[in-house]
Amino acid sequence: MTQIVQSEPGEIFDIELDENLKRANDLIAEENRKQLQKHGIRAIDVMGSVGAGKTSLIEQLVRLLKPRYRIAAFKGDLTSKIDYERIESLGIQAVQINTGRECHLDANLVKKALLKLDLTALDLLFIENVGNLICPADFPLGSDKRIVVISVTEGPYMVVKHPFIFADADVAVINKIDLARPMDVDTDKLAGDVRNINARTSVVLTNCRTGEGVKQVAAALGIDSAS
Amino acid sequence: MHEFSRASQIVEAVLGEAEKQHAVKVIEVELDIGDLTFLGIEQVRFSYEILTDKTIAKNSKLKINQIPGRGRCDSCGYDGQLSYLDDEQFHIIVPTFNCPQCGNPLSISAGRECVIKRIRIRK
Repeated sequence: MTQIVQSEPGEIFDIELDENLKRANDLIAEENRKQLQKHGIRAIDVMGSVGAGKTSLIEQLVRLLKPRYRIAAFKGDLTSKIDYERIESLGIQAVQINTGRECHLDANLVKKALLKLDLTALDLLFIENVGNLICPADFPLGSDKRIVVISVTEGPYMVVKHPFIFADADVAVINKIDLARPMDVDTDKLAGDVRNINARTSVVLTNCRTGEGVKQVAAALGIDSAS
Repeated sequence: MHEFSRASQIVEAVLGEAEKQHAVKVIEVELDIGDLTFLGIEQVRFSYEILTDKTIAKNSKLKINQIPGRGRCDSCGYDGQLSYLDDEQFHIIVPTFNCPQCGNPLSISAGRECVIKRIRIRK
């Protein structure tokens, strides 16, 4: 503590705090990471815009990988269980995380959800975040890889308008490519926008209704899908 | 986003420390906020003002150091500020996380901070 001499009554002190406000979430994220690693589980964050196709991508990845891996999924959403029921019907362990009005998942919510899984019987965990390209970037959850999903129906500027979420993205998925022509969206330009922001991010074009591109997503995540 | 909840966190931490130190008044709070966080500085100030209203931190000065984004390149050794892609046609200013020297991805070393550095109190 440094004392400062002042002329007003009362003694004035400067206190060095160095208190990191992100520390609480970061510590729990580290805890989650260690738990998952202890059980040999690879966890993948799935982030993306509202309606981009996050749930559809997870459905397709589960169908592709289920013959080889034991999979679970977390579904983060404000209040509904609409997407959760889609995932649950695939016959995998699924946990619904309702955030209430919070616009992103945080490490604490994931920590609680992990308690509901049998971690000894799992190889892969998909964590689907709330549809949002802004907030999730600031709240690490403890996963190994991060996917960001956008779709051509959002127009040509989604990447340049949301650069920060691509800073930590391992894979960027550009979905609904079958609609690129009616939308007049250049998917090469979008892919280029991602690479200009982060050269490390792999870009994969998909149609998650038909499954086109999903094998490449698995490969980009380092997951072997050959059965 | 989340300026109000971050400001709540700040006020809680400040008042907690002030109480520990038996302060009668909080005069100033100094923060480091990185440019790569999503915090709107004016909104943080506004939220802080509202939250400190009926506390010993009322009317305290909020000094905010905005920390620019910095990165290190393992490929060429660059260690410096991030560069920005200036897309003039659309007035969009996009930060890039690639090395301005060689184009390889950078490790971000600064710009994501949200830290209470120091508080000034009267006892």
